[in-house]
Amino acid sequence: MTKIQMNPVIDQILTNIEKVMIGKRDVAELSLVALLAGGHVLLEDVPGVGKTMMVRALAKSVNASFRRIQFTPDLLPSDVTGVSIYNPKDMEFQFRPGPLMGNIILADEINRTSPKTQSALLEGMEEASVTIDGVTHKLQKPFFVMATQNPIEYEGTYPLPEAQLDRFLLKMRMGYPDIQEEMEVLTRAQKVPPIEDLQPVIDLDGLRTLQEKIKEVFVDDTIKRYIVDIVRRTRDHGSVYLGASPRGSIALMKAAQGFAFLYNRDYVLPDDIQYLAPFVLAHRIILKSEAKFEGISAEQIIKRVVERVPVPVQRFVR
Amino acid sequence: MMIKRDFPTLLLYMLGFILLWEWLRPVEKLTDTAHMEVFIIFLLVSLALSFFKMKWIWQFFIKSMYMLFFIHRFYYEGGFFQFSWVKSFSADFIANVGFMLARNWTALSYEFRTFLLFILLWLMVYLIHYWLLRQQQIFIFFFMTLVYITVLDTFTVYDAKYAIVRTVVSGFTVMGMLTFYRILNREKVNSNPASLKKWMAPLAGMVAFSILAGVISPKAAPFWPDPVPYLKAAKDGVANKGSNGPSRIGYGENDDRLGGPFIGDDSPVFMAEAPDKNYWKVETKDLYTGKGWIASGSTSIEFPEGGLVPVYSALGTVETMKETAVIYPVNTRNPLIVYPAGVQRIRNINPKNPQGSHSIGIDTTKEKIESFEATDYTMDFTVPRYKVDDLRKTTAFNPSEMGQEFYDLYTRLPASLPPRIKQLTEEITAGKNNWYDKAKAVEAYFSSSDFTYDQKNVAMPGKYDDYVDQFLFDTKRGYCDNFSTSMAVMLRTIGIPTRWVKGFTGGGFMKYGGENDSLKVYRITNNNAHSWVEVFLPNQGWVPFEPTKGFTNDLRINYGAGETALNDQPSVPASVQKPQEKPKDEPKHPTKKEKIFDFKLTWLKVKFFFIAHWKWMVLTIAGVIVLTAILYHIRGKWLPYLVLMRYRFKRKDETIASAYLTLLHQLDRYGLKRKENQTLRNYAKYIDSFFSTREMTRLTSCYEEYLYHKHLPEGSWQDSRELWENLIKKTIA
Repeated sequence: MTKIQMNPVIDQILTNIEKVMIGKRDVAELSLVALLAGGHVLLEDVPGVGKTMMVRALAKSVNASFRRIQFTPDLLPSDVTGVSIYNPKDMEFQFRPGPLMGNIILADEINRTSPKTQSALLEGMEEASVTIDGVTHKLQKPFFVMATQNPIEYEGTYPLPEAQLDRFLLKMRMGYPDIQEEMEVLTRAQKVPPIEDLQPVIDLDGLRTLQEKIKEVFVDDTIKRYIVDIVRRTRDHGSVYLGASPRGSIALMKAAQGFAFLYNRDYVLPDDIQYLAPFVLAHRIILKSEAKFEGISAEQIIKRVVERVPVPVQRFVR
Repeated sequence: MMIKRDFPTLLLYMLGFILLWEWLRPVEKLTDTAHMEVFIIFLLVSLALSFFKMKWIWQFFIKSMYMLFFIHRFYYEGGFFQFSWVKSFSADFIANVGFMLARNWTALSYEFRTFLLFILLWLMVYLIHYWLLRQQQIFIFFFMTLVYITVLDTFTVYDAKYAIVRTVVSGFTVMGMLTFYRILNREKVNSNPASLKKWMAPLAGMVAFSILAGVISPKAAPFWPDPVPYLKAAKDGVANKGSNGPSRIGYGENDDRLGGPFIGDDSPVFMAEAPDKNYWKVETKDLYTGKGWIASGSTSIEFPEGGLVPVYSALGTVETMKETAVIYPVNTRNPLIVYPAGVQRIRNINPKNPQGSHSIGIDTTKEKIESFEATDYTMDFTVPRYKVDDLRKTTAFNPSEMGQEFYDLYTRLPASLPPRIKQLTEEITAGKNNWYDKAKAVEAYFSSSDFTYDQKNVAMPGKYDDYVDQFLFDTKRGYCDNFSTSMAVMLRTIGIPTRWVKGFTGGGFMKYGGENDSLKVYRITNNNAHSWVEVFLPNQGWVPFEPTKGFTNDLRINYGAGETALNDQPSVPASVQKPQEKPKDEPKHPTKKEKIFDFKLTWLKVKFFFIAHWKWMVLTIAGVIVLTAILYHIRGKWLPYLVLMRYRFKRKDETIASAYLTLLHQLDRYGLKRKENQTLRNYAKYIDSFFSTREMTRLTSCYEEYLYHKHLPEGSWQDSRELWENLIKKTIA
């Protein structure tokens, strides 16, 4: 993708993040896409590759409050959402907000906790509010969750139900840095971490304005048709047990709008769709067990689907 | 190898077609297969379908429809879509499968044989396709073709002088091209058109050289004498055995073995412009052998053009009417000279004999006029108007009226003639006292429902069968030869002199001609070949009779005063009345009928044209295909200019849409194909890196704006036209 013509504000945020993160610009970009599109991100990764650092840098850059929840098997729902405690002084219950009541939340290793606690988080993500003791508490806006999960093969995990995975707009991997990057990481580790010195680029109001702007990014009917073609193709693919839902189509469109905005364009290109489709759709399809045994991953299938759908190059005639 | 649809593949297909054609050519010459063009066109169609890689189901459908349509055309009556014929065809089909399983090959019907030939060609087309494109080896087929042609050339009358040259040229070319593709495959080299050209040049040289060497090099004399005359002699020696004799096709000269199916065809023989419909005579025969007719001798004399034709017509005692007809033979080089019964003079032969010899040969025994070159000729003839009283005057042979020798000649019968024929004739003619009534009675006898007119299922008399006897008592099924021969022979048994006449019926009405449309033009085809009977009445001359069921010959008979149709014998008016002109056939809406007639006429004309020119048409179509293929092949040289011209004067901004798509097509043709899943931006980068420019990216971003953003700034086309033109120019080959 052309790295020229980035939106200036976005460019600054990315520069900010790059001050603390070596490489991984694509992950940063995609996180920004999710943040701007009002979605959430699921990172499937091993610990220690810099997820926290990136989310913190992101939070700092937009001047948002950052919370981190480390999920453990004994974590309770109330540990996430907050709890009402009896205050003997006022003679009434007082709500003590949990870590969910922030703007940008890093939910680490969510597949290590019980499904009950998982669903508390997922509900919050979906509804943008939590209900505790009959009282509905609105979550702050913007609200952005970056969840991580260990690769499922690891022991002691409660895999997220596949149907619930589509709460996340994007799912991606960070991966290990390459040799040059990892050497640079070591060099930086000898100095004071620069994260404390990061200056915000915009404030929360500015972020909310950006989020509104993204909705105005133009999506032509040809592009809509292209999205639908791709999503529908996942439904009748031979190795797929359950294809992507219409929610998947919506997600793909929203993500594409965000991505187009990142590149300072006010309309979506098929290139955007092609790039984003694996991140948006891979976790929304369920493979047949035969395909799993053959070692085909959902990302590969989505890529193959994209390869088969012709790109619209003419005006779409209804 | 990937099967492509490029020019070399087309060439391969065409050469394959030529090789296949070589197999069909002798079939046309050596067997009774007519309409070979239909099969050749079938081959062409099948190969074309295979070349265009049409889906198999469509190929199957088109070929089946073609087969069925022509089987219907050849063998069935009624419309193709009335489907009534399908029933009889399927019944026939099942019956024939039974025959096949029983190995009763001779019983197979003609439609089934046609069907089998179609299927065979179908298989051959597939094989050709397989050999050429999958196997890439054709040597076996080529070799078999050579063997086939040479064997036929040696043992039959087929002359393969040019066939062998054609086969070697096309066979060598095909093998050379296939070798090229095999080498490409084996070495895994990317084929490009230039390398094929390099290959083809020496190949063409080599083929030309081998042909030249083959043609001019001295050849050893044959080791054995030409077997054809020997085989012919051997065949004639056994010809009297009751074999499957040849069927009769159209008008034939040889009548010594009658019988078997009659295969007519629509090919026209001549056109006649005459005041009325006439029977056209070609010759008469006088000697019945038990199997057919021969002439007792030949007496050739000449008479001048415009002079009286020495042909017996009605005697001077018969009242006659003068008429004139113009004949236009189709084969002008060697036409069949036909003449009406009362022919007097032949004149205005056009073109006239350049030698100036204004005489025409005639064999007076057979009454056959020798052929002369003419595009048309005029005939004066008289139409007799017989009087019933005069016709009935002759009751017995009287040596004073005609010579004994003459009488013996025309009443002669083979000794082996079964006596029951005479008995039957006597039964039929019982109670009639004069020759005319007797002849009419015999004529009427054939119109009974016992007899069936049939051209197909007609028996061939066996070794000990008499042709007439078999028909009268055994089969009772046949066509004109059966009826006319039977009547002639029957009358001879009771001592009435008869002869057998061959010629054509009046044919089909085409249009009005002459001044004031007073004349009518008839078109006579091979289907109109006919035979009938003439009876000699001493005071009247040769009087024609028409025993064949469903046919009529106009005899103008004047019933004398006092003679009414009521007290006449019932048989006379019944047969004088024309079956075709029964009152119920009178059209209720004349105008409507005329329209249908017109349509039929047009269809006939079209058909006539096709038959006459099909070879030329196939050549033209092939030429057009080749030309189109060549133009298509070199389209890179002219198409971009055409495109540039087309867009030069367009001003609207929307032009960019079609212009950009055209550019995509041209780039595709150039060889820079955009994959279906490739985005425009990505493709543009590829194009730019190929041509090392930035033009495509710039043009593409403009088109992207238009396509995905519905945003078209004013002057977009004006601004980007130069980019576009540069890119189009780059695609010029």
